[in-house]
Parts: sequence; C-alpha cells; structure tokens
Amino acid sequence: MTLECDDALTNLYLYLDSELDNASSRDIRAHLDGCPDCSGSFDFELRLRRVVKERLDEDVPEAVVTRLRIALKREAAGSSG
Amino acid sequence: MADQANFEEDALQYSRQLYSAAMRMTRNPADAEDLVQETFLKAYRAYHTFEAGTNLKAWLYRILTNTYINKYRKESRRPSEVDLGTVEDLYLYRRIGSEESAEAARTTEDRVLDGLVESDIKEAVEGLPENFRMPVLLADLEGFSYKEIAEILQIPIGTVMSRLHRGRKAMQKRLWEFAMQRGLLPEDAERP
Repeated sequence: MTLECDDALTNLYLYLDSELDNASSRDIRAHLDGCPDCSGSFDFELRLRRVVKERLDEDVPEAVVTRLRIALKREAAGSSG
Repeated sequence: MADQANFEEDALQYSRQLYSAAMRMTRNPADAEDLVQETFLKAYRAYHTFEAGTNLKAWLYRILTNTYINKYRKESRRPSEVDLGTVEDLYLYRRIGSEESAEAARTTEDRVLDGLVESDIKEAVEGLPENFRMPVLLADLEGFSYKEIAEILQIPIGTVMSRLHRGRKAMQKRLWEFAMQRGLLPEDAERP
C-alpha cells in the first residue's frame, strides 16, 4: 500500500519522533522512496532537528558541578548528623 | 527503592543535560545553577522514594520542571514573542523551497542550516511561551518520548503532541526571521 502525500505529512512528526509503529513507519518509508517532494521536506525537517539539538546543547561549567557536589555533601552530612 | 548512598554516582551523570535544559528555562547562568542545585538536593532527599531500575533521567526532569514552575514562573510578566495561531506546517522548508531547481533549493537549505548560529536557535526556543517551550525542549533537546513528556509535565499525551507541534512551528517562524536578518534567504523568499 502507498500513502498519499497528505497522510505522509500528517505522520511526518510522529515518524521523526519515532512514535509510529513498525508498519506505519514502513509505509512512510515506502512513500518517501517514491516521492521526491515529501522526501525533500522530511529530509529538511530531520536536518533542522539535528541542528537545533546540536546548537542548544550546553556544557555545564566545571565550577557548577563542583559546587553541586559540595552542596550534596553538606546535605548528606546535615541529614546524618 | 534506591540507595541514597549511590545518589551522586547515579544522578550526577545527568548534570550536563539538566543544566542545558535549565539554561533554556531560566535564560541565565546564575538561575540555571540555582535551579539545577535545588533539583539535585530535592532529588537526593527524595531518592529513597525512587524505584531503582526505572527511568531516573525522566524522574530528575520531573523534579526540574516542577521546581522551575513553582519557583521561576513569571510567564504573565513576560510578553509572548510569537503568535502561535497562524503558522503552517513545514514553515521554514516551504519558504526555502521556492527555488527554481532542486539543486538551488538544496543550496539555500544548506546556507540556512549552516548560517543559523547558536544564539538564533536559543532565542527561538527561549522566545516560546512556557507551555510550548517545555515540550519542545524535552523532545528536541532531550529526545524524550511523548509518553515520557506527558509524565514529566503531568499533562495528557494529546496535549503534548499539539503543544509540540505548534511550538515547533512557531520556532521555525522565528528561525525564518533570523535567516532573513542574516541574509541567508534569496530575495524572492523574503515575501511573507
């Protein structure tokens, strides 16, 4: 069975979020293989998502982790004695 | 039941991720640090209630978001920067894809994806109203499933899906504005 473009678009985000069951994912992939328009948009959304994730990631400063460990030790000492 | 003695070892591996999320929630390093520290202290105190072997990361995020909502929510004092009502699907792609050839469109796509800098993406997410920002962060930064997000935010899964969908579209609209400001789009794509 093949999907129409409208159905594929409806399922686009579910597919990219890995929320579709195996059969529906297979249907989407089959549609994408034969439809350059949809595969173009799917591909772009996927790339955009990677860019967003990559550029949102933030390193936690070492000093923040150090202060966090100290706070936890203090908490542990306070609760046990 | 989880053993409090193992808390540091078990939980601190998530400090980087929680800090990233806290930065996007509070928008400044001092508040992000406070939020993360308060989250870990609360989690430490409650660790005996955590069922060992279940989803520790999701549990920590639930404490993080609850703490944020209780302590830092100032949504009513902040104007919402995006109109979430009028954004169509594939907003950014459709505006880029108006090129004559597939090849030209691909070139523009690359230029936009490479040219949007870190601060653009951060501002686009931080500008989302809180109800939309949280699901977007949890899905797109952290990769949580809809079900996990529903549990973390304690809202129905259908609400997660609709907020995620609308939030992402609003984010794309903001990214398009940044792309225009940076001259990443061809002239004819700049018409609304």
